[in-house]
Formats: sequence, C-alpha cells, structure tokens
Amino acid sequence: MNYMPGTASLIEDIDKKHLVLLRDGRTLIGFLRSIDQFANLVLHQTVERIHVGKKYGDIPRGIFVVRGENVVLLGEIDLEKESDTPLQQVSIEEILEEQRVQQQTRLEAEKLKVQTLKDRGLSIPRADTLDEY
Amino acid sequence: MKCLEGLHLQQRPSKFSVSLAPEEGLVCAFQLEEEKENEDECVCSDQAPEVKEEGCGLGDPAIVSAFQNTQVPQQRGLHSSHRVKVSGALGMSSASLHFMWQSVFPRASSPAHHFGPQQPSPDPFLFYSPLTPWPPKLSLPSHLTQLHPQHQQILQQQQRWRRRRSPTARSVPAQKPWSREPAASDAYANLMTRKEKDWVIRVQMVQLQSENPRLDDYYYQKYYQKLEKRQADKELLGQKTRAESLKLVTPYIQKPEVYESVVRIEGSLGQVAVSTCFSPRRAIDAVSHGTQEQDTGAASSQRLRVLSQIEKMFLQLLKIEEGQNDGLPQLYHTREQSSQVEKLFQALKTQEQNNLEEAADNLLQVLSVRKGKVLVARLLPFLPPDQAVSLLLYITYHLPLLIQRDMADQGLHMLFKPLGKYISHLTFHQLLHAMQGLMLLSPGSSERPVSVVLQNQFGISLLYALLSHGEQLVSLDPSLRSSSDCATWTDLVILIAWEIAQLPAASLAEPLAFPRNLLPCSAITWTSN
Repeated sequence: MNYMPGTASLIEDIDKKHLVLLRDGRTLIGFLRSIDQFANLVLHQTVERIHVGKKYGDIPRGIFVVRGENVVLLGEIDLEKESDTPLQQVSIEEILEEQRVQQQTRLEAEKLKVQTLKDRGLSIPRADTLDEY
Repeated sequence: MKCLEGLHLQQRPSKFSVSLAPEEGLVCAFQLEEEKENEDECVCSDQAPEVKEEGCGLGDPAIVSAFQNTQVPQQRGLHSSHRVKVSGALGMSSASLHFMWQSVFPRASSPAHHFGPQQPSPDPFLFYSPLTPWPPKLSLPSHLTQLHPQHQQILQQQQRWRRRRSPTARSVPAQKPWSREPAASDAYANLMTRKEKDWVIRVQMVQLQSENPRLDDYYYQKYYQKLEKRQADKELLGQKTRAESLKLVTPYIQKPEVYESVVRIEGSLGQVAVSTCFSPRRAIDAVSHGTQEQDTGAASSQRLRVLSQIEKMFLQLLKIEEGQNDGLPQLYHTREQSSQVEKLFQALKTQEQNNLEEAADNLLQVLSVRKGKVLVARLLPFLPPDQAVSLLLYITYHLPLLIQRDMADQGLHMLFKPLGKYISHLTFHQLLHAMQGLMLLSPGSSERPVSVVLQNQFGISLLYALLSHGEQLVSLDPSLRSSSDCATWTDLVILIAWEIAQLPAASLAEPLAFPRNLLPCSAITWTSN
C-alpha cells in the first residue's frame, strides 16, 4: 500500500467521521470536509465531546475550521462500531457539571502541591507555561 | 487499492497545468459564480444534474433567505437529517460553506454580505487556495513531472503482480481513493473538488522532489533500500504472502533551475523583486571569492599548496566513490567515472614530471601527508591496472623515504591491501627493477635501504609480497630460469636474506600478511647462517 507525503495522505480521509484532539485538550468529532497542506481542517456537523471518568457528553458545535498546528491527533471513527462503547452518555448539563467538579478538584490538588513544595523551599514552573499536551 | 498508481501520476500533470494556468477561471470553493461552472465538471456524476438546476437559482434572494432560515436550527443541533436533504438539493458546497462562514464569524451576520454571489468576500482561504496566483514560470512543464525512477519501477512491478494474481478483476487501474462515490446519504460530500485535492497533493509532492535524493534524503533512501532488500529476500524464500509495506510516493519534478531575483518588465522604470517558495529573496548576494589560488612563493606555502591539492583531489575522489555506489547500473557511469579517475591520476602525477629536479616531487609529498595516503589507498581500486602498477612501482622505489616520513603518523599500512591486489600484475622485469632500487647502497651510508624497509611493518609486508610474487613467476615460467634475470633475482633474494640475517630478530617488523610460498623468517635466518 502506498501513501502520499505530508497532509496529502489526509485526502483519503475526507468525508469520513473523525475524532480530532486539539492542543488545548478539547475533543471534536465531526466529518472532515476539507484539508490543506498545513493540515488545517474543516469539520462539519461537529460535536465537542467531553469525557469525565466513564461518562461523556456531546455539545453540538457546528462547523469548525481548525488551524493545523492545533491538531494533536486525528483519527477516523468507524461508524459501525461507534455506539459500541463502555462509556455512558449523559446530558450536556450533567457533563458540564462533572467537568467543573473535576477541574475544581484538579485545581485544588495542584494548589496543594504548589503549597507543599513552597513549604519545602522548592518551586515548580508556573502551570500556564507548560503545554499540557 | 489505495495507492497512487503510476498511471495516475502521469496523468496528473496535465490537470495541474490546467489548474495553474492563470488565464483559466480558477476554482475557489467560496466563490459562487465560479462554482456554478465548476461543479459541472467536478461534482460526482449522480449529483451533477441537480446541482446545475439549483445552482442557477442561487442568485435568487428567495432561496437565499430560505437558506438563512434553515440555518438557525442548524446551529443548535446538527444531527437532524432532513435538513441535510434540504440543503443537499442545492449542491453541497455553496450551502455548507455559508454555514461555515456564519458560524465562524457570527457577528458579521448581514445576509447580503454573506450570500450575495457578486460580493467579494474577505476570504482568508484565498491565501492557500488554488486561486493564489502562481508565477506562470513555475507551472511545471508536464513532461517533467514524473515518478522517481525507482518508485516508478516498483509501482509497475506491483501492477504486474496484481494483474497476475487476479487477471480478470483488475483490468482497469485502481481508482483514486478520493474519487470513490460518496455514500448517497452524505449530501455534503465532495466539498473539496478534485482540483483542490490534486493541488494539495501537488504542493506536498513539490516539497519532496529532489535532484539528488541520496544527498537530500539519505536516511529514507537507505531505509527504503533495506526494505526492498528484505522483501526480495522473503520472496526468494518463497513466502507468497507479502505484507505490503507502506511506500511513500515521491515525484520527480524538475525544479525551476534559474534563479531570477529581479524581473524586468517592459517599459517599467524600476526592477521588481520576486520571491517564491522555490526561489526566496536573497538577503545577501554573497559569492565567495576566497578560494582562489594563492601565490606559491615561500617554502611554507609549498606545504599548504600540497594540502589544498589533496583536499581538492579528495573531493573528486568522493564524487567518484559516490557515483560508484549510488545503486544505479554500472554502465551509466563507467565512461564518466574512468575519465574522472584518469583526471585524478594525472593530477597526482603532473607535478612530478614538471620539476623532476626537486627532491620531493608531488606524489611523494602527497604520500607524506596522512590524508594523501588515504586518498591514494581509496583511489587505487578505481585505477586501471597499468596505472596502479606504476603507482606501486613508484611507492616501492621510494619506500625508504616514505617510511622515514611515515614515522609520525604510521599510516602507510593502509596502502598495503589496495596495493597488494596489483602486485600480481607486475612483470618479472618490473619487479626486478623495483627491488634493485631497494638494494642500492647510497653514497653516504653503509646501510642498504632495505634494512629500513625490513624494520617497518608496511615495508616488510610489501617486500614479502613482492618476493612471493617473484618466486611464483620464477617457478611458473621455466623460460625465466635460463635468463640472466633469473641470476639477478637469485642474487637479490640472497642479498635480502643476508640483510634479514644481519638484523637482530627483534628489530624485524611483524608483517601484515605472510605469503605462503616463503619460509618463515626464522627459517631464513637459520639457513643463511
């Protein structure tokens, strides 16, 4: 099997359903409609999926134009196996609440860590200077 | 088969030249006017008639507003399938793209601004859409766009295999994967037209093209060679189930070879600087003038001259070696290569003939530098036998001097292997002549030069190899035994044996190789005693 160089290999994936993980940690699911040499993507009928633990929720978003540099990974979704998942879908409100709680706990843990390190005279780089992905 | 077939690639250039020609109404997915014409040719066949009818009505404000209405719920939930059908009737690209603009720039929501086909929309996509005006000189001539020869060969081979495996199924070449018919339900499919896809592919391909892949893309080429070799081995072992490995399809496109930083336009006053991705604007127009020949007056610059000469010759040698192992059949190279080798050999020799009176001639100087020895050692395998033999004779003749100069870096022994191959080409007479040179008593000293030779590893190895060759010649050719040469030879051997016996055994060097037809040196000392 042959493949084409660079983003041209994405051309074979056009008009298929894709999951795109962005650099800020968001997950988008939609139909890939157009690409270019920078791997800029046009996603159609996109939902933003939020995973918290075993639950997930979809927020309908519409059309996305994703700048290529923000794409961490992208993969095709097998439409036949799409519903075959151990995860449980919940409503948007619920997942947003779950996410908020999760972020809250994470933030507190982080604060605690920083505080403990500070007490011991250590410092860690500010969180926002680190690229999470 | 999801691959770019060779056939497709060869067809592609014509398409490209169409899409790149500046006069052509170029396709932009975001300009409705052009889309109308364009969809006729680009949209897949089952949608084409529909598109044509509805596409003409796009200018109609009623339809435009209808669009706008359908769009409001669209932003809330995109999964309702009926809407897909509604807008699908209009041909996919126009409708879906306007959604896009709405959702991307929700604030600039004047419908006239978005939907008027005549309105020029501020279109950021233009920057990398096919509309971007390419300089016409960059539209590559179609006949130059071709596969890398190696890949072409492989692709053809693959095609043949496939045909052999299923002679009926694949009479037509495989379709391009992206030209497959979309599912009937997906009305938004083929938003990217064929031209646009080809354009993206082309842009990516152009980046990969290389005139000298071994230089520009060494690791991939090596990796690929390894891969091929492994596959070939597997096939030899009879494994029918070849796992087809991924292959990168690289084109071979000739680069626009001339760099023009300035274009002159008829009747214009100034000069216009152009820069493209192929010929970026030169910030500094620097040309190196420093490598010119410096005058060679002083004695110290004599050595510098030799060093720079070695450096130059080494570059030539590298080129020859590169030509040797770039994997292409030998036939293409032999003539060019032999002329290159000849040039190099002459360069080694020339100085020598011009000023014979100088004690240290050119070759000797070259051979007293370590890199020069490496140069000669690596050049030897490329030389025709007669030239190599002349080098061998030269080195043999000057062996004592070379050994003296080699004391510091001990590099002579790297010459032994390449030289040894040519010893068998020596005639008896040449051999005799060369050996006699070693036995001459120099006027000032009581020591024969051969004693120096015997104490050096390279020297003794070469001497033994020469003796062995001489013995072989004598034993094989009975006519030699009666000649006067044979008597000289016997004298010579006895003289050398005597010299060996004279030296304490500890000061004899250990030879690199010991010829089979010579007795071990302890035996010689014993017999001569």
